[in-house]
Amino acid sequence: MSAVADDEGRRARWTPGRAALLALSLPLAVVWVLPLAWAVAISFKPEGEATGTPLRWIGSTVTLQAYRQVWEAGDLVRWMFNTAYISVVTTLLTVVFCAMAAYGFARTDFRGRKALYGVVLAGIMVPPQVLMAPLFAEMVQLGLVDTYWGVILPQVAVPAMVFILVRFFDGVPRELEEAAFVDGAGRWRVFWTIVMPLSRPVLAAVAIFTFISTWNNFLWPFLVTTDPNGMTLPVGLVNVQTSYGLRYAQMMASVVIAGLPLLVVFVLFQRQIVRGVARTGLAGQ
Amino acid sequence: MTTSVTGPAGPTSTDRPAPGAGPAGRAGIRRRWTEHGLLFIAPFLLTYALFLLWPLASGVGMSLRSDNITGSGGVYVGLDNYAEALGDPDVWSSMGNTVWFTVLSTVPLVLCGLVFALLAHHLRFVRWLWRLAWFTPFLMPSGVVGLLFLWVIFPSDFGFADQLLASFGLRPGIGWLTDERYAMLSVVAATVWWTVGFNFLLYLAALQSLPRYVYEAAELDGAGAARRLWHITLPMLRRTTGVVLILQVLASLKIFDQVYIMTGGGPDDSTRPILQYVYQAGFTGYRIGYASAVSYLFFALIVVVSLVQLRLSRRGGEESS
Amino acid sequence: MGRPGRSAPAGQPAPAPTAPPAPLTRRRALAGLGGALATAGGIGGTGAMATGCAAPRAGAAGRTRLRYWHLFGGGDGVTMSRMVDAFAAAHPDIALEATQLQWGSPYYTKLGMAGAGGRAPEVAVSHLARLAGFAPGRLLDPFDPGLLAAYGIGADRFPPEIWRRGRFDGRQYAVPLDTHPMVLYYNTDICGRAGLLDDGGKLRPIAGAARFTAALRAAKKATGLPALTTETLGPDAATPWRLFATLYAQTGGAVLSADGKRLALDDAKALRALEYMAALTDEGLIARRTDYAGAIGVFNGGKTAFHLNGEWEVTTFTLSGLPFSMTRVPALLGSGAVQADCHSFVLPHQQRRSGAGNEAAHAFVAWMVKHSVDWAEGGHVPAYLPTLDDPAYLRLTPQSAYRSVIDDVALDQPAWFAGSASVMWIELGAVFSGVLTGSRTPRDALREAKARLRQLLDTPDPLGGSV
Repeated sequence: MSAVADDEGRRARWTPGRAALLALSLPLAVVWVLPLAWAVAISFKPEGEATGTPLRWIGSTVTLQAYRQVWEAGDLVRWMFNTAYISVVTTLLTVVFCAMAAYGFARTDFRGRKALYGVVLAGIMVPPQVLMAPLFAEMVQLGLVDTYWGVILPQVAVPAMVFILVRFFDGVPRELEEAAFVDGAGRWRVFWTIVMPLSRPVLAAVAIFTFISTWNNFLWPFLVTTDPNGMTLPVGLVNVQTSYGLRYAQMMASVVIAGLPLLVVFVLFQRQIVRGVARTGLAGQ
Repeated sequence: MTTSVTGPAGPTSTDRPAPGAGPAGRAGIRRRWTEHGLLFIAPFLLTYALFLLWPLASGVGMSLRSDNITGSGGVYVGLDNYAEALGDPDVWSSMGNTVWFTVLSTVPLVLCGLVFALLAHHLRFVRWLWRLAWFTPFLMPSGVVGLLFLWVIFPSDFGFADQLLASFGLRPGIGWLTDERYAMLSVVAATVWWTVGFNFLLYLAALQSLPRYVYEAAELDGAGAARRLWHITLPMLRRTTGVVLILQVLASLKIFDQVYIMTGGGPDDSTRPILQYVYQAGFTGYRIGYASAVSYLFFALIVVVSLVQLRLSRRGGEESS
Repeated sequence: MGRPGRSAPAGQPAPAPTAPPAPLTRRRALAGLGGALATAGGIGGTGAMATGCAAPRAGAAGRTRLRYWHLFGGGDGVTMSRMVDAFAAAHPDIALEATQLQWGSPYYTKLGMAGAGGRAPEVAVSHLARLAGFAPGRLLDPFDPGLLAAYGIGADRFPPEIWRRGRFDGRQYAVPLDTHPMVLYYNTDICGRAGLLDDGGKLRPIAGAARFTAALRAAKKATGLPALTTETLGPDAATPWRLFATLYAQTGGAVLSADGKRLALDDAKALRALEYMAALTDEGLIARRTDYAGAIGVFNGGKTAFHLNGEWEVTTFTLSGLPFSMTRVPALLGSGAVQADCHSFVLPHQQRRSGAGNEAAHAFVAWMVKHSVDWAEGGHVPAYLPTLDDPAYLRLTPQSAYRSVIDDVALDQPAWFAGSASVMWIELGAVFSGVLTGSRTPRDALREAKARLRQLLDTPDPLGGSV
């Protein structure tokens, strides 16, 4: 796994101090893993044993029954698709819109640029949650309740991301772009063929952060979707009870399935995600 | 805010001919630098104006009216909604719950984040394991976390928490989420479990960027591990702590999801945060004008906290620089 | 019901999944996914959800789409899915999509927001006492009397009092399905040992508070445990309110004036009710700190003699094989009145309600009401009068044993904040919870309850009452 490289080639020496640290860390790590492990354990139990006492990690048989039932009910598939669609579109639009805007603020000049940038920066202080009532009313008027765009559009303009990208562009020397201008390239081409590729790492960070927060967003999709067919994964799980009833194994199976996509993404892109979150997280949220 | 965000350094020199030699000429290049700015900003600006500035402004208008959720039936009522909100015990109690949750959750979240990061940083091996354990819960949607704790961790008797107590010989049967005495603490515990990974990562990144030479010098001076931690690492992390603290307080103040899912704000509204009250007033109670007024009171709190913390952190930053 | 444990205890035999009319197989799910992916291909497209269409429209096979929302979990959910399946089988031309949403306040919030958003389902369930708060005409559309009559539904088929609760300004906004009163469950084994049963194995009639207390004492002696379990605490705990409303109604008191606009709480009568509740707690006759799941679990475990709750848990106890029966809540403080609410069908507001979808909604409602003998199995007393004389219903025991209660039910007065899972229930439930757990004195609870009621009454109806 890529993380091994983090050790930067220095081999850890085995000292009593380090052993003590390990003795402290391991139980803490175990405590943190337990809840999810318990969910997984229950999801593989037969329904009748899901809530038995005393605590037992493995049921009389290990069964995929709960997963099969959840899959066949179909909702989860629909919600997962909705979530993926919404997250991908939101991420794309956010990255493109914010990068363009940041480039505009960092590299161009026009009357009122500073004031406009000030207005954008002030937006960092506005928690989207504060807007829930007026935004919902606006969506009713625009007829966007229960549509994908209704979920997506309010999540696209993220001032914090513009801020991050402006800081990045400020640190990039202009020579490359100038050279392209000299060669006769237009602004638009310079942006797409030089600036964007050059910014890949920071764009990846922005994209990762946006994707995670859109995938996990609860409040806004929860407000703007009332039709169960259009709900995202977190919202549907909480609101719709079709066919689950009080079935603990099934519920935990859906919880595991719902948590899995980002977990897989994390294992695959651990380095990028860790760096992306650390980098954007400081300015974002 | 404070941390500089830089990618790998862009190329600082080029092999290209000097500017001005090309066909465009100096004036043309200057124009290139300045033209089309608004066009680049336009898509962002449009969505920003439509879905942030406009609702922000129209919300003020709504808060001065008695509109209901269907957007009709309201009249201009001036500051009545604000006056009512300030005299509404539910506003104060849910504001109090929000602040109390923030106090209860911020301390363990920052401390655990720091401790976990120190552990993972100094234990140089199996780093992926620590990340997997402490960071992955942060990647779970609130729906997953809420349902997990609601369904199998916190139920009385057969729930995991109670069973754990029972296996230590303690008497189970605690109403983790149903008893007023424990509900808020249970919400805090679930939140710490869920979101500590974020602070952990921020601290880890900060630790990894600390200059190594300081430690090497200290080691030469014969400073022990404890002294190095106390006199070098922690002071150098002060700025990071400031940032983590700001972000954590702001995030905690905005609590909604996990409470809504796990307790619905109960029992007897003892865990209901202010955002849930806004939701209830506006969407359950249909009073969208009143809900707007309450949400602006909350907004005022957020702004005050941000400004205070910004000031504090700036002062802290000046001291350390 | 929404929260785990709100309606059935752990280990209850699993309810059958609510199958859509044509069960969604893996293949269909995948096909749907494929279609959805195809839609998603064009990001520049409309972006509206495949299902976001406001007006009901014909499905792929020319069938009428009928979306139906309900809030039934636990045993009710099982029964409802069976009925939904049967309706779908009998109506191949209607593509019925039944959705069960989280019970209680979340359900009503979503229903209201759907009505405001204009893309609401064609038909939904609502508690009758919630109707006033739903602004008939704004968030609900009226039934078409002609269509109802064509399907054989009219005022003469329902108890007049209950039918009238669905009427606003001369239009019918709700068709009642049932009434669901609070009842007394009793464990026949324990009650037998305590000498409380008659020769036929039924609970001997209990009249008056003193007799009931005596019966509880006898049962406590037989087991050494509190004799009565009921939900005394928890988020959104409604039972303390329901118990108070029952006892208070028995004294002849009313909480609000008949139009739901003024406080009518009678201090002396309310104190009688609250003091009786406190007395049961003080003497250890009620299990003190018990949430909903706990109360059911303990009774279901055969540990206590009595359980006070709505009749809907009958399925839970029947399935577990518990030796139990049910009866009306005895007349303790006067009359035999008992707190109740009714499930009813409503038509959530749609921008353009008309055509085949609306007609299908009427057909669905009529069919469900006429088949309410199946529904009665879950414990509810059918509102459709012909069902009450149906031999199939009379054969249901213990479900038909308390049917006479339909004449003595006390619904909340029609206020915008009243009805099942309403803000009034949640607020007052929390106050009266304190009396049952011993953390509030009756006087203190009364003062707080009145303060909270006044605050609700002082808040103008956000939707401005009926049209």
